[in-house]
Amino acid sequence: MILSSGEQTRRKLLSLAGRSFLFAVTSAAALAVLAIIFFIARDALPFFRASGVGEFFFSKAWYPAHEPPQFGAAAIFAGSFLVTGAAVVLAVPPGIFAALCMSDILPFKVSQVLKPVIEMLAAIPSVVYGFFALTVVAPFLQDSGRWLPGNIEIVSGVNALTASVILGVMALPTIVSVSEDALQAAGRELREGSYALGATRAETLVNVVIPASMSGICSAVLLGIMRALGETMVVWMASGNAAQIPKPWYNLLQPVRTLTATIAGDMGEADQMTGSAHYHVLFAMGFCLLLFSFVCNLAGEWMVARQRKRLRGG
Amino acid sequence: MRMLTRKILDRAFTAGGYLAVALMTLFLLWVLVPIFVKGAGAYVFVGTVEYRRMMLGEFGRGNEQRVAAEWAEVQRAREPVYEAIAAFERELPALPVARRKELKPAFQAVREGVAVLLGPAPGKPLPALTRMIYGQTRWRQAQDKAANILFEETWDYSGNGSQKVHVPRQPLFEGTALAPVFPLLRKELRSLLRPRLTFYPRFLTDPSIDAHFFGGIGPEVLGTVYLALGAMLIAVPLGIVAAVYFQEYAREGPVLTFLRSCVNTLAGVPSVVFGLFGLAFFINTLHVSPGKSVLAGALTLALLVLPTVIRSSEEAIAAVPRAYKEGALALGAGQWRTVLTVILPAALPGILTGIVISMGRAAGETAPVVFTAAVSVGKWVTPSEVLSQPTPALSWNLYNLCTEHEAVEEIRHVQYGMAATLVLIVLALNLAAILIRARVAKRLKV
Repeated sequence: MILSSGEQTRRKLLSLAGRSFLFAVTSAAALAVLAIIFFIARDALPFFRASGVGEFFFSKAWYPAHEPPQFGAAAIFAGSFLVTGAAVVLAVPPGIFAALCMSDILPFKVSQVLKPVIEMLAAIPSVVYGFFALTVVAPFLQDSGRWLPGNIEIVSGVNALTASVILGVMALPTIVSVSEDALQAAGRELREGSYALGATRAETLVNVVIPASMSGICSAVLLGIMRALGETMVVWMASGNAAQIPKPWYNLLQPVRTLTATIAGDMGEADQMTGSAHYHVLFAMGFCLLLFSFVCNLAGEWMVARQRKRLRGG
Repeated sequence: MRMLTRKILDRAFTAGGYLAVALMTLFLLWVLVPIFVKGAGAYVFVGTVEYRRMMLGEFGRGNEQRVAAEWAEVQRAREPVYEAIAAFERELPALPVARRKELKPAFQAVREGVAVLLGPAPGKPLPALTRMIYGQTRWRQAQDKAANILFEETWDYSGNGSQKVHVPRQPLFEGTALAPVFPLLRKELRSLLRPRLTFYPRFLTDPSIDAHFFGGIGPEVLGTVYLALGAMLIAVPLGIVAAVYFQEYAREGPVLTFLRSCVNTLAGVPSVVFGLFGLAFFINTLHVSPGKSVLAGALTLALLVLPTVIRSSEEAIAAVPRAYKEGALALGAGQWRTVLTVILPAALPGILTGIVISMGRAAGETAPVVFTAAVSVGKWVTPSEVLSQPTPALSWNLYNLCTEHEAVEEIRHVQYGMAATLVLIVLALNLAAILIRARVAKRLKV
């Protein structure tokens, strides 16, 4: 096809315009994350400038309504980490076992049937999990104190343990599906080599397959941590919302308060007076959450990339 | 022997795997079964005559004559109760002081309990709150309220710890004019309230009356639909364009790597931070609306689901066989035309899967809309108000009703109804996605 030079330029220009349009839209979508960082940081900065970081990170006195207000968030950070840690401890062993079961133990057809179960667990909205925690798990836990050894009296079913259990369940789908992908990526040859040497299935999985897919599993755990740390509704509804560090610190039967729940719960009071110290301290908390999730995300991506490289290059 | 241990260990390991899978499935059932069973109670339940009166009075539904006739009969059945109360009221001042002191608080409780159970006594002025104009509309709750009259709930501290005990009230009033009330409530409750199996499908679309004591969840459902559709309206074009760019146009390089990792990072931002961003950017900086609005909420949710839309669209585009594209190019179509007429139509079912799943996510999210779109007052939002008005939404109102409502226990059925409806919407969308995916898989196989 022979085109006149005018036609050709027109076409080239059109194509260039289309390409730039696509690029612009894509950049706008991708750069939204930079906008998020910028605006959260912009509204967090006045707090750090006014109060510094010392009180925020190291004091346990959280009295935002006092005069003068006190914004010590140490107990709230501790609450977030405690609940997240417990959730991950509860979710990782069953998560990895379930992933192993689905990738290596169950027949293909059965594990295809199980996939929707995991998808449903992931799809249930967090507020419904919170409602479930409040109406089913909390009363159940409160009643079960009497049957436990030592006749523990559980003052309230709304405590760190309830929140952790539910958060664990919410982190499960992520952990299972990401580690299952990692386990499958380890490949047939490794497994067959191990079986050929006379190892049982458990030995193959523990000694060969899991080490080979370790970084994938670690990134699954990191993603699970992110999910639990960033979750709002469940901890808001089921963790008790008391800004305190449990005594002793591992006592999960006491109420705690997390970063996400504080942001969600206090913004209702604070957003009426935009620009108040209370408003800015919540953005400071949001900024910290954002930083944690970046660190986890980067670490997770790095691990996935490392596994890919190792499996490819031996 | 060593072989045996190894075998046992292997079996134990396998059992651990099965256990984990079973645990997960059981937990899913533990969550879903109570929510669906009790949630069904909002739509199907045993309603009393008070329910039918309420429906007629507040919604103008039902057969007026039939309800009036039933109401007349019920009132006849209730007469002895009110007579006994009136008679006791006359008798009370004549009783000895000690006895009077003993009976008065209990009588107060009985009289109030009867007002809660059966509605205000005939001849009394109607209370201002709708919830107090009618008696118990649901038979299950009516039975509980009747038990509250028959028994006094106190705490017994005699043993170790405290225990709840229910002390019958009847012996206290033995020999007084009030005594006949108790057997009536115990044995004749049915004729006082006339329970009947009731279907209430319009729970889904009715507005609520008097802070969700009566009525349905219509405004909340509508708000959720607005938010989810609005979010998709914004996220889908953006997401598809970005996916096309990533898959068909972009050249490998630092810019592409950077954009990709931006999208990945966006996927990891906690949902409550999206809410903060929506408040700080859309409302306080861009001023898209004077305060919270459906628009601000939809924009925030759109950002939240954007990474999912981009990823699933990319996967769908990547799955289009190369031959399709090469065929189009060989026929002389430009890249533009190839994308629009060949690649996108072929990838459509896959893109649709991602859209449907993201829509479920947008419908269920709460934290991002708390500061940007949601209010707890259940008022209809008309389509012309979406740009400026906040809306109730299923997710936020479920939170609100089960934590901040003044009578959390009284409206459990509404909460369960809301939770079940929300889960049903989300799971139906997911099911649709699974079905679309299955069809795609079949088509690609052939």
